[in-house]
Amino acid sequence: MTQPEQSGFTAEETRIIRARQAARSRIMGIILVALCVLFFLITVVKIGVWG
Amino acid sequence: MTTATRNISLPAEWRDFWALTKPRVMSLVVFTALCGLLAAPGHIHPVIGFTAILCIALGAGACGALNQWYEADVDAKMARTLKRPLPAGRMDREAALHFGIGLAAFSVGIMGVAVNWISAGLLAFSIFFYAVVYTIWLKPNTPQNIVIGGAAGAFPPVIGWAAVTGDVTLVPILLFSIIFLWTPPHFWALALFMKTDYGAAGIPMLPNVSGQRVTRNQIFAYSFPMAAVAIAPFALGESGWLYGVTSALLNVVFLALAFKVWRNEANEAKDMKPEKQLFAFSILYLFLLFALFAFDRILFA
Repeated sequence: MTQPEQSGFTAEETRIIRARQAARSRIMGIILVALCVLFFLITVVKIGVWG
Repeated sequence: MTTATRNISLPAEWRDFWALTKPRVMSLVVFTALCGLLAAPGHIHPVIGFTAILCIALGAGACGALNQWYEADVDAKMARTLKRPLPAGRMDREAALHFGIGLAAFSVGIMGVAVNWISAGLLAFSIFFYAVVYTIWLKPNTPQNIVIGGAAGAFPPVIGWAAVTGDVTLVPILLFSIIFLWTPPHFWALALFMKTDYGAAGIPMLPNVSGQRVTRNQIFAYSFPMAAVAIAPFALGESGWLYGVTSALLNVVFLALAFKVWRNEANEAKDMKPEKQLFAFSILYLFLLFALFAFDRILFA
């Protein structure tokens, strides 16, 4: 992955890129955890543990 | 290098991906799908029901993303859509395309594995219908675009129903027909007071192609079969008195507003109060109609 510092971005642009990457990573993390919980629940329902 | 070019090379914010899914449209899709699911006979486990609604929401989001990917140039010409992520330069088109295809594949796959493959097939077809048949083929080519394209928005309650029962019977077909026949008066009312916007973008909406008189005639004409289909579930014994009475009242108000539109001769958007009233009421109409139908079916099941 190209690092902002190596792509001729200004310091301000680098700060914006880092902030956006961090925000996207947080959202992606939340989504992945939520999907893990959902898939676990679907599996439990499908194998009939909860009738 | 210009500022605009540099902006495009920045990664998009997560909020722009969210905006790409057209959350307001998605809310109506989720709501009608939920009503279809609740109105269906039989039982669905809450976890599977939630998964079905989630997949329908993600499918609707995929439609929004693919629509905005294809129409980025058109959106840049309309004031209403100018600030969307692509025309505003906050995201590149390739990211929107990948996001849309990814959401579509994910939603259909999960629907098939977790719910059933009938509802997954219907979801896949509705995404294809909206993204390809409506957005790419019909919308830029014919003033009847939203008549046929309205079918895409009519699928959610059918998918919600199929998620429970695994089949499609008379009731989901009636729910489909209500949205299908509601779409032309709803969108043409908007197109009348947004005529300049659509004209600037080169989209052949009925008011731009056939004129305002023809559009008002068509709005009024479509309101009658829409009302008939809306009352049909009660007439055919598929709902109780609660839905029968309230849907009749809602349809009387809808027809009265459509009549006011039909009588209006205004050419300027500022004089199109009846059109704006009909457009606003049509959204409330659909919400109430579906909520009452689901409530009635749960109550009198």
